[in-house]
Amino acid sequence: MVSYIFRRILQSVLVLLVVGLVAFAMFRFVGDPVDTMLGQERTVQDIERLRESLGLNDPFFVQYWNFLGRALQGDLGISYRQGRPVAEIIAERLPATLELAAVSGTFALLMGIGLGVFTAIRRHGFSANAIMALSLIGVSLPTFLIGILLIYLFAVELRWLPSFGRGETVMVGGWSTGFLTQSGLIALILPSITLGLYQMTLIMRLVRSEMLEVMRQDYIRFARARGLSQRAIHFRHALKNTLVPVITVTGLQLGSIIAFAIITETVFQWPGVGLLFINAIQFVDIPVMAAYLMLISVMFVGINLIVDLLYVAIDPRLRS
Amino acid sequence: MNRLLTATALAAMLAAPAYSETFRWASTTDPQTMDPHAVSSTPVLGFLNNVYEGLVRRGRDMTIEASLATAWEPLPEGAGWRFTLREGVTFHDGAAFTAEDVRFSYERASSEASDVRSWFAPVSDVVVVDDFTVDILTTAPQPIFPDSIANWMIMDSGWAAANDATGVARDVENFATLNANGTAAFRLVSRQPDLETVLEPFDGWWGEVEHNITQAIFTPIQNDATAVAALLSGEIDMINPVPVQDAARIEAGDGVSVLRGIETRVIMLGFAHDHETLQNGAPNPFSDVRVRRAVAQAVNVDAILQTIMRGSAEPASQLVPPSSRGFSTGLDTRPPLDPDAARALLAEAGYPDGFDFTLSCTNDRYINDEAVCQAVVGMLAQVGMTATLEAGPVSNYWPELRAGNFDMYLLGWSPGTFDAEHPLRFLVHTAGDALGTWNFGGYSNPRIDALIPLIQSEIDDSARQAMLDETAATIQEDMVYVPLYVEPLLWGVRDGVSLTQRPDNFFILRWVTVD
Repeated sequence: MVSYIFRRILQSVLVLLVVGLVAFAMFRFVGDPVDTMLGQERTVQDIERLRESLGLNDPFFVQYWNFLGRALQGDLGISYRQGRPVAEIIAERLPATLELAAVSGTFALLMGIGLGVFTAIRRHGFSANAIMALSLIGVSLPTFLIGILLIYLFAVELRWLPSFGRGETVMVGGWSTGFLTQSGLIALILPSITLGLYQMTLIMRLVRSEMLEVMRQDYIRFARARGLSQRAIHFRHALKNTLVPVITVTGLQLGSIIAFAIITETVFQWPGVGLLFINAIQFVDIPVMAAYLMLISVMFVGINLIVDLLYVAIDPRLRS
Repeated sequence: MNRLLTATALAAMLAAPAYSETFRWASTTDPQTMDPHAVSSTPVLGFLNNVYEGLVRRGRDMTIEASLATAWEPLPEGAGWRFTLREGVTFHDGAAFTAEDVRFSYERASSEASDVRSWFAPVSDVVVVDDFTVDILTTAPQPIFPDSIANWMIMDSGWAAANDATGVARDVENFATLNANGTAAFRLVSRQPDLETVLEPFDGWWGEVEHNITQAIFTPIQNDATAVAALLSGEIDMINPVPVQDAARIEAGDGVSVLRGIETRVIMLGFAHDHETLQNGAPNPFSDVRVRRAVAQAVNVDAILQTIMRGSAEPASQLVPPSSRGFSTGLDTRPPLDPDAARALLAEAGYPDGFDFTLSCTNDRYINDEAVCQAVVGMLAQVGMTATLEAGPVSNYWPELRAGNFDMYLLGWSPGTFDAEHPLRFLVHTAGDALGTWNFGGYSNPRIDALIPLIQSEIDDSARQAMLDETAATIQEDMVYVPLYVEPLLWGVRDGVSLTQRPDNFFILRWVTVD
């Protein structure tokens, strides 16, 4: 058991190191930060001096090594674009992304399970079929388009909801939250739907097919034969057995909600780390790109590690 | 502080109708820093012009006018310029403005980490004569020196020293990155990078107040469609820019309009003058002036402007727009569109069947840049020049051009001094360390190289113009670049807001009135 955990952690660290190496090898193809940092009247010496001081003349593995060395001491470097410590910038921006991910994840889970059960129980009903057809649109339309459509409908035409931003935020400790103000909560609605729609349809379809599967099982028939109420059969017996795979998938999808927030954040000018990353790519802000990619990969690797360890905890066969 | 109370107060503030005097505007780019000497780019300098001031400033029509200096005159024998400073000016924190601040700001802005130090290349020293007189000494006569320092912003030496911000905050963060203390009509109230920056009028400003806003909030909105939506929904009073393809639709709508103007940036085609071969290994035809002229006569600029720019831009004949100082009015003609003449020129140059080459182009730097390049490719194909378009993001573009990996390329140039001498220095002078730094094609003309320092130091206006005319004529004759058009300025403005659009794309808050 201990050796298994140790092995998994070792593997995770290895994955992280490789991700970092690949990331640094890619940065040179993103472009040259010097051009975006200097004005048009720069001299050739200015360019050279800046390249030297940023260490851009070093081979990428040397740059990576230096980055790792500093990162281990908690120093993620200085953003080329903002001239401020990257750790500080990320700490400022992370709450926005995490709150958006939490709300859209909850939305996807609740709506997904609810609609999944509904469409499974009423599988021949008109509304269930309409929901299934609509969910196809949810899966096939790109996030970008859904976001713009929602903005034009609810912000421009109806003027119910804001088209961009986070509304007013309140600082709680070092965490800026939009949960405590009216405008902050209102601002969450459109981006959460945009970000969660795909996950919602995924969960809905998963719950539906699992539910249909379970409903055919013998114990459900016995339950019916015993004369249990429909509600008890559907929600106490069937749904519980449906949820096992749903929880696994949801856990893994949580990572991708945070990672795929990039597009939603860009459309809604949501000031999270995704928007920060897009800015960083355009500006060739290497320290920010490196920190973001490492953050996301730590998160993915971490979630996978936890899931693996949970399997061990749940399944006794893996412990031997 | 009671957080719940704050939250309630904020909610109440939002529920109340927005005060008309609060002005909200959005642009695609957030000013990277509040340090006026760290980054020489339009978003930064334009924004900070509302907070900091220079000795001189530009008026609505770009003319130089008095600001922190009330008068200036050249010193005898071209030794430099004497500036008489305005008395009774205070910085936002209440400190008095004196000659010492000018000297400090010179030292700061000309230091190695500064991105605006090229403005001070001809300056040898700044001498404080008395509290309100400063001599700026130059190594050679500098007739347009006041024009070149319109964006040189004065910082309080005491404030900088007290907050440890005497150095320029570029590779490091210091107090000036997020804070500002200028003398201008607006003071920085709060700054959240990439999120929101709030300005309020400075009560102690020396000038006459023309605006009526009590608070100005800037939000960067990167996505064009989102910005347009925010304008249409009334959440934002002004956006810059409006995408050209959306301008007509916005104008057709209620409550908003599009303010159209012409920027100072000239979009042009550049050539590999000194390459032996093209990227594909064939001999380089672009070293022949007849081929370059054929390009000029084959590209239908009017058609590009009508279709791609939707009638918003103006054709260009020189490297600077007609409104700039030193423009050669006698040479304001483009080579006529004439595909037959272009084919004849190609045949004469030895390419009767045309040739293949690569056109390098950005896809995220200028307005509709990639579409313009595609149109150029189609037009050149009609006379036999078959171009392969290589369009990419600007972050990769300049390194490729510097490395010489191009045959023909798209370039936009905005003259920082608003003077015809500016592009000569960077685009036409033989490529070197400080001059000709953007002359990627390697054009070299000893006569022009000799004229540039003479133009820079000529006091007499007509003699100066004569030299500028000569270089402009040579550049047209040699077809060093093929100027295409001057980029348009498109701002989306809510009805009831009146403002001034300046050709340098600076948005000046003190000219804004809100109904």
